[in-house]
Amino acid sequence: MKAKIGVYVCECGPNIGETIDIPRVLETIPALEGYEDVELVPKSFGLLCSPAGKEYLAKEITDNAFTHLVIAACSPRDHNSTFIGVCKEAGLNPYLYKIINIREHCGWIIHDKEAATDKAIQYIRSGISRVLYQSELFERQLEITPDVLVIGGGIAGMEAALSLASEDRKVYLAEKTGELGGKAASFASLLPRQGRGADVIREKIKAVEENEHILVHLNTELESSIGFLGNFEVVLAGNGDDEKTDLKVGATIIATGYRMSDPGSFTGYEYADTDEVYSSLEIERMNGGEGIALRSGAKPASVALIHCVGRQEKGYCSRICCNYMMKIAGYFKKQSGATEVTEFFFDMCLPHKADQEFFDHSVGLGIDFKRVKEIGLSGTSVEFTETGGGKQRMDFDMVVLASSLEPPEGTEALAELLEIDLDERGFFKEAHQTTDPVATSIDGIFVVGASQGPRGVSDSMLLAQATAGRIRSQLKPGGKIVPEVKVSEIMEAYCTGCRTCLEVCGYGAIYFDDQKGISIVNEAVCRGCGNCFGSCPSGALRTKHFTNKQLYREVTEALK
Amino acid sequence: MTEKQQEREFTPKIVGFLCNWCTYAAADLAGSTKLEISPTLTVIRVMCSSRVDHNLLLTTFFEGADGILIAGCHPGDCHYGKGNYYARRRYAVLKKVMEGLGLEPERLQLSWVSASEGNRYADVVNAFSEKIKALGPNPINGRPDF
Ligand SMILES: Cc1cc2nc3c(=O)[nH]c(=O)nc-3n(C[C@H](O)[C@H](O)[C@H](O)COP(=O)(O)OP(=O)(O)OC[C@H]3O[C@@H](n4cnc5c(N)ncnc54)[C@H](O)[C@@H]3O)c2cc1C
Ligand code: SF4
Ligand code: SF4
Ligand code: SF4
Ligand code: FES
Repeated sequence: MKAKIGVYVCECGPNIGETIDIPRVLETIPALEGYEDVELVPKSFGLLCSPAGKEYLAKEITDNAFTHLVIAACSPRDHNSTFIGVCKEAGLNPYLYKIINIREHCGWIIHDKEAATDKAIQYIRSGISRVLYQSELFERQLEITPDVLVIGGGIAGMEAALSLASEDRKVYLAEKTGELGGKAASFASLLPRQGRGADVIREKIKAVEENEHILVHLNTELESSIGFLGNFEVVLAGNGDDEKTDLKVGATIIATGYRMSDPGSFTGYEYADTDEVYSSLEIERMNGGEGIALRSGAKPASVALIHCVGRQEKGYCSRICCNYMMKIAGYFKKQSGATEVTEFFFDMCLPHKADQEFFDHSVGLGIDFKRVKEIGLSGTSVEFTETGGGKQRMDFDMVVLASSLEPPEGTEALAELLEIDLDERGFFKEAHQTTDPVATSIDGIFVVGASQGPRGVSDSMLLAQATAGRIRSQLKPGGKIVPEVKVSEIMEAYCTGCRTCLEVCGYGAIYFDDQKGISIVNEAVCRGCGNCFGSCPSGALRTKHFTNKQLYREVTEALK
Repeated sequence: MTEKQQEREFTPKIVGFLCNWCTYAAADLAGSTKLEISPTLTVIRVMCSSRVDHNLLLTTFFEGADGILIAGCHPGDCHYGKGNYYARRRYAVLKKVMEGLGLEPERLQLSWVSASEGNRYADVVNAFSEKIKALGPNPINGRPDF
């Protein structure tokens, strides 16, 4: 069948109408060299993306029975999807159409109208040449399960579970220990409003336990996970027994939180078990239990609170310590107003909206804030250099250390199991720090709360709620997903089985078939970036809709 | 300018492979800001800078391109994670291959331009175009004889 290509130039009001000589474009197209076997139908229209434009275009496609379509208009980032919709409606496979950006790439940036018109003709030629080498692609619909697995039962994990569980969506909550609540469960009060503190956590635990759509698995960890968004098969394993649970879930949320690093492991803070030196977490536990006391049972008369322990060695700020140390100072003052509290800090980090107020309040309680350049311990004797001062030594009854927060045990293994990345600090890495903060490099695997890096309760809940929103829109109960169709494929005959592509794929979309000795792309997982293509030494790869032939056509026309 | 001078004025042909997520968006921004950009460059959209393989680049030179620009997201910002690091490695290798072919390595340039850097996009393209103009035409126009 002879190809019949519709070539529609959009005026876009004056945007293209006045910057490009459209009549000249239309005149040139039918006479293009090298297309004698092809019927080219060039036309122009006012605003193709308007309702009238779309209707016109759909009718043109049907009436003319075009085999291919080229639209010379704006950026594909603006209206590619609009015209894909029109093609579908008119019964033309949308992968046989191409949009050419003559507005942003010609009319708007080449200020000489004749030159802009020449360039537009060149781009349109490229487009015509390319569509002839494009092939039909077909979208597939896959059934999904809307159920979700949450790993970690701290505040972040519980909030995610509560935000997602419903009549038509089960949530499995796997917690490694025997209790829900995470670290915050032991805190007597919670910043920024202090208020009821641990009660907030207790209420959440109760809500989770009472929710019939949340299935809690205590003393349980993830054993394996395979699959892709909407279709993961996971196995949970009891860590005290041999119990295994097989589940099908559509998405997994990691909420494994953080761990406090051992303060005694940092230079200058080596202390003995018998010293009256405690980590901030130990103080939270004491305060939430019997009250804060020395080993003798007496209340301390003087306390040193030291911030930023291990920050230098770790190379990052733990973000929440400045805040909670003021809260801890308040615990001491509440026990006895006479306790002398000195806080040693390097930089005061007060990022949240209520922080400044809380700082002023703490100063009002009579807490002595000392900004230091250097600090070290010898038992409960603190040697320090204040900024702008000399070396000093002060003796205290008790020392409390805000030690760096680090990823919990098992983080690396979990990352490996789920094939996702860790950041330079060892916490789970977001797909994009700025623009995609709860997703990971694997579609359908999310990371929330402190498992992304140190953060407070409200930020942890925020991420959990954001993730729940993402999952609700991606995995609608009863819904289907349409995987990317512009994916890569490996041509068996050319693959030498070198496995280079496996290494470069950031999505684990390629697996090795041991029997055939070749690599295979899992099309449901592939995102079509083309990195494997760029890496294959044997030319065995092909990225659909961005094949070399298609790109060569564009290149060749551009260089004519 | 006399007609003769005009004839002698060399207009380079440059192909720009831009990643969809960053640099292509920057080009859109440059467009909507109506910045003036040299028509010497033809944009070819790819999903990620990592898609651009050696075959495609060499063919583009053999077909007569005087310069090639590969542009994508800044390191750490690739939409697909690490694609641009791989692109950088492949680029470094290709520079060596070009030397062997008698092609000035400067004819290939890799730049990072984010979606918000419309001005930078215009500057990169215009400066590259000037550079290629100064270098003159591609010496191996047509497939080399090995
Ligand atoms: C001393 C101190 C005081 C603080 N005070 C405040 C405050 O006043 N206000 C505030 O907003 N924030 C405060 N924070 C921060 C607060 O602790 C965190 O914001 C919060 O705990 C983060 O919740 P999360 O659920 O992300 O992590 P976590 O609380 O760490 O919970 C993670 C859960 O996951 C489980 N888990 C870990 N690994 C696995 C695994 N592989 N499989 C299954 N389960 C696993 C853990 O057992 C745990 O139950 C304080 C922190 C410290 C250290
Ligand atoms: S389709 Fe694009 S070029 Fe045409 S009117 Fe709409 S915005 Fe303008
Ligand atoms: S890189 Fe190419 S040859 Fe090597 S395993 Fe992958 S597809 Fe096969
Ligand atoms: S195109 Fe990208 S996502 Fe798909 S298999 Fe290749 S490297 Fe992986
Ligand atoms: S997506 Fe822009 S470089 Fe990879």
